[in-house]
Amino acid sequence: MAVNAMHQFAQVWRGLKWLGFALIALLWGFPTVWVLYEALFVGDKKIGFTLKNFIDAFAAAPFSQYAVNTFVIVIGLLAVQLLFGAVVGFILARYEFPFKSLITAIFILQIVVPIYALLIPDYQILKSFHLLDTKAGIMLPYAVSGIAVLSFRQAFRSVPRELEEAARLDGYGMWGIFRRVYLPQTIPAAVAFSVISVTYHWTDFLWPMIVSNTAQSRPIVVGLAMLAQASESGMQWNLLAAGTAIVILPVLLIFIAATRKILNAFSHTFNW
Amino acid sequence: MRIEPLNSQVVLGTKTRLGGEARPIFVRALPHLARYGILLVPILFVVTFVLIPLVQTLLHSFQHISVRGQAEGFAGLKNYQVLFQSPLFLQVAKNTLIYTTISVILCVVIAFLLSLLLEANSNGRGSRVLLISLFSPTIMPTIAAANIWLYFLTPRFGLVDRLLAWVGLGHENWLGHPGTALGALILLFVWKYAPYFTLFLLAGFQAIPPEVREAMRTEDPSGWYSFRRVILPMLAPMIAFVTTMALLYSVESVDPVYVMTQGGPNNGTNLVMFYLYQLGFNYFSWGPAAALSALLLVGLSTLSGLSLIVMERRAFHWQ
Repeated sequence: MAVNAMHQFAQVWRGLKWLGFALIALLWGFPTVWVLYEALFVGDKKIGFTLKNFIDAFAAAPFSQYAVNTFVIVIGLLAVQLLFGAVVGFILARYEFPFKSLITAIFILQIVVPIYALLIPDYQILKSFHLLDTKAGIMLPYAVSGIAVLSFRQAFRSVPRELEEAARLDGYGMWGIFRRVYLPQTIPAAVAFSVISVTYHWTDFLWPMIVSNTAQSRPIVVGLAMLAQASESGMQWNLLAAGTAIVILPVLLIFIAATRKILNAFSHTFNW
Repeated sequence: MRIEPLNSQVVLGTKTRLGGEARPIFVRALPHLARYGILLVPILFVVTFVLIPLVQTLLHSFQHISVRGQAEGFAGLKNYQVLFQSPLFLQVAKNTLIYTTISVILCVVIAFLLSLLLEANSNGRGSRVLLISLFSPTIMPTIAAANIWLYFLTPRFGLVDRLLAWVGLGHENWLGHPGTALGALILLFVWKYAPYFTLFLLAGFQAIPPEVREAMRTEDPSGWYSFRRVILPMLAPMIAFVTTMALLYSVESVDPVYVMTQGGPNNGTNLVMFYLYQLGFNYFSWGPAAALSALLLVGLSTLSGLSLIVMERRAFHWQ
């Protein structure tokens, strides 16, 4: 009797758990699914698969130009940040010289001080350089990343000196040692940093919004916000749904294709 | 075993340094110069876009600033006074306080519950759908998430109103009243970020050694004791980190305000970062804007400094 009751309790418990899971999936997944549905299936008159909303969205805003801008900004920034990060990180990890801690402090300052609080002076500096409304202008304040510097420094430090000595005995110069001994050891750190950087700059809004003025520099997220502003006044909701779908579909598809991999990569990055 | 390489490293280091000692000073300075030369460009970047703006903001906050942004003499605490006597700023401060407090508490609590749930069922069937649903807000930009909720909450046309109409309740202009509009912003923040913070807490769970988990499973099947005595203490640093980050993110929230409400109605959803943007780029009120920036600099830098310290202790050992 008691065993039977236990068994029933376990079944009820399992049922409740599945109900909970379903509710969570619904709460978090449904808004996204609904917008994709509206974008892909709801036309002016009838309901059925249609690409008209997307065609309208591409006509209303130069999304392909925005996408190119985003790509240039995100990848360009990543390349510059990795370059500076690797070089500065190497020098800080490998050499002793006067004012080293002061120089390190400057890069830590870059991490700690939020650019959000420096929008106005940074905007004025960019203006004095005549770089407003350019992709370079959007990128410049972020070109040196303190997080990249510190991650690379940490990675370089963990390379045993014996490896360097061995390479030296094999006849490699300093550049060869850097490239063949040190750099390969920093790939995990570089990958982890790339994930952080790309995610951040792809989704960044306020700074690019302030700097960009025309389609020649505007990234896709800012373009989408502009579309939302325009739609709100003009009530072109299908357009807004399609614009949102254009932005989220690519990442969503990548995420669906490699859910576990991406989540594992994330937990590795933050698995302290 | 691990000490050995360290020892030889020290020996090698001393050797090089002793060898260098014998050479004249300008020869010894030469490699330093090369290093400084390489470091100069990145340092200039940080000085131009972080250090100078930082100092300028602090200075400007105590000066009269013209509409064109030029400093025009010492103003004492005038800018701060103007800021704190403005009813709008007090309203913004109140909004931000409410928004931040509720968002952070809800976010951390829900993230913690979600992490417990996912940790307990990491290999469950059908959980891929759950994962994709749960983390779809995490992988999209806040602007896209805000669009979705704007779309949802539109009067009459939006899904929320359509559902209400279907049940028989009337429609509501959710973004048209200060209270519900702020509630909508909080909802968006929790929806977008709670799963993200869950990932950090899950990573924290991974740090609990398997032996300890096994012991908890066999010795304490109800789990309450081990939850209180093992899980909570071991997760405490990660919870502290997540709370700090949630605080930082919520104070920096501006994208949803821009898309969903533009600070309205009646500045009921005007949050501090949107207000700073308005002060600088709509009202050209540079003096009070510098004062507000200075306050944010102190507040936000402290927060990110704190999270950096937690991270350093746990992960990077940066010293």
